[in-house]
Amino acid sequence: MSKVKILGNLLGVIPAAYLLYQATAGNLSANPIQTATVITGRASVYALLISLYCSPIARLLKMSMFHRVRKISGLFAFYYAFAHFIIFIGLDYQFNFSWILPEIRQKLFLQVGLAAILMLTVLAITSVNLIKQRMGAIWKKLQKNVYWISALILLHVALASKGDIIDPAILFTLYLVAMLLRLPKLRSISIKKQPDWLRRINTFMIS
Amino acid sequence: MKNKIPASEITPEELYISRRRFIKQSLLTTSAALLTVSCAGGNEPEPSLDSEFAAYASLTDDQGNQLTPYGSITEYTNFYEFSTSKTEPTKLAQGFVTSPWSVRIDGLVNNPVTLGVEDIRSQFTQEERIYRMRCVEAWSMVIPWTGFSLKQLLDMVEPTSDAKYVRFETIYDPEQMPGQNNPSFPWPYIEGLRLDEAMHDLTILATGIYGKDLTPQNGAPIRLVVPWKYGFKSIKSIVHIELVSEMPTSLWMAAGPTEYGFYANVNPNVDHPRWSQATERRIGSSGRIDTQMFNGYEEQVAYLYEGMDLRANF
Repeated sequence: MSKVKILGNLLGVIPAAYLLYQATAGNLSANPIQTATVITGRASVYALLISLYCSPIARLLKMSMFHRVRKISGLFAFYYAFAHFIIFIGLDYQFNFSWILPEIRQKLFLQVGLAAILMLTVLAITSVNLIKQRMGAIWKKLQKNVYWISALILLHVALASKGDIIDPAILFTLYLVAMLLRLPKLRSISIKKQPDWLRRINTFMIS
Repeated sequence: MKNKIPASEITPEELYISRRRFIKQSLLTTSAALLTVSCAGGNEPEPSLDSEFAAYASLTDDQGNQLTPYGSITEYTNFYEFSTSKTEPTKLAQGFVTSPWSVRIDGLVNNPVTLGVEDIRSQFTQEERIYRMRCVEAWSMVIPWTGFSLKQLLDMVEPTSDAKYVRFETIYDPEQMPGQNNPSFPWPYIEGLRLDEAMHDLTILATGIYGKDLTPQNGAPIRLVVPWKYGFKSIKSIVHIELVSEMPTSLWMAAGPTEYGFYANVNPNVDHPRWSQATERRIGSSGRIDTQMFNGYEEQVAYLYEGMDLRANF
């Protein structure tokens, strides 16, 4: 495994390690379920945004190392979203479907979140190399749905927030910039001459 | 006051803190185990009292619910004046100056007055009230307040016949309260009650919790407690109480008119537009419980809203 992938995986487990450490230390506040829900949700959103920036940054800086962690960050986004989902139905609602189902039927932020986790699951499963190879050209088309899924997830965050508009606004801005960098006109932008030190970092990290 | 032995004489602080940690740790280990094996567990109530508050060990609310531990009440708060985080206010509010502190009571009254908090404490007999507190975010606590019914104060200032509502205002001091620099909200914090709600015996001004003075993060030195309404109605760190003829616009009504109404009565049948209010998480126990109409105070307060459409008047 290349160094950049090792680093990506190490960074990816930090939120989980933090959550576990704080849980065993009894530091998840008086409302640990809520705190665990927020930490896993946040980790998922950040990993997702990072995955959206991998390609544009790789292109801008001519550094292939960022391409190599795109899948890893996407998968961590899925892992944390899944943990977030399990905490919601298992720890919070204790698999009590007479509570959960009416809530999902009524609440847009839950419908949006549920749609997003289902679609993320499809993307995660099809990212397994064996399946990916068999899918051929459809695979890329399918994975591009992550743009819509990300929008849904940010909508989910905004709908669940209380009062504070700054935080969702920052997340949406980051998302929009990542999308704008994919416009045909902006796609071609990159540094003209890559400085030697960037090239060397890249060579080192992908080895 | 019910606790005649000063709580600090019973158990050293370090001991009770370590005990708290132990309780939390066991709860969390259980939670972590639940997470991994994903089994549907039953409700295991956390031993809810710190040994420091032995005098409170046998107390419950009117429905037999255990008190929420002092540590949880003082650690987990909503006080946007300091931070939108639940645990940050506890740290950020530490240096908050609550003395000297005076409260102005004026508006449509015959005897406007400005009282120091110490005068308020000595003039009105302080009693203990154990109330459920239901946050609009669907979590709840059971809290032993020290305070007195607001009616006593209002009777003293004598509202005129034009007075229909009571308007409350929190201190505005961005230097001490960094959250007041957050432009998402129209500071200062304002809340309001209809006069009959304000005069109801359940409505109190509180100055303490568990027999101790209010901590800054809990709204020191004096705050409102209206147990049948969502927690945000129970405005903290009050500096001004005004009797008015028109319905005041609260901070939350101004920030989200479609989401936060003037009444904000706890009601499992009327959801917040974005979240459900059917169930709640009682802090200190795992899982959820059903939310009760008027937070379980229906018998005492339902008459205030007779004939009103509670969906329209949310």
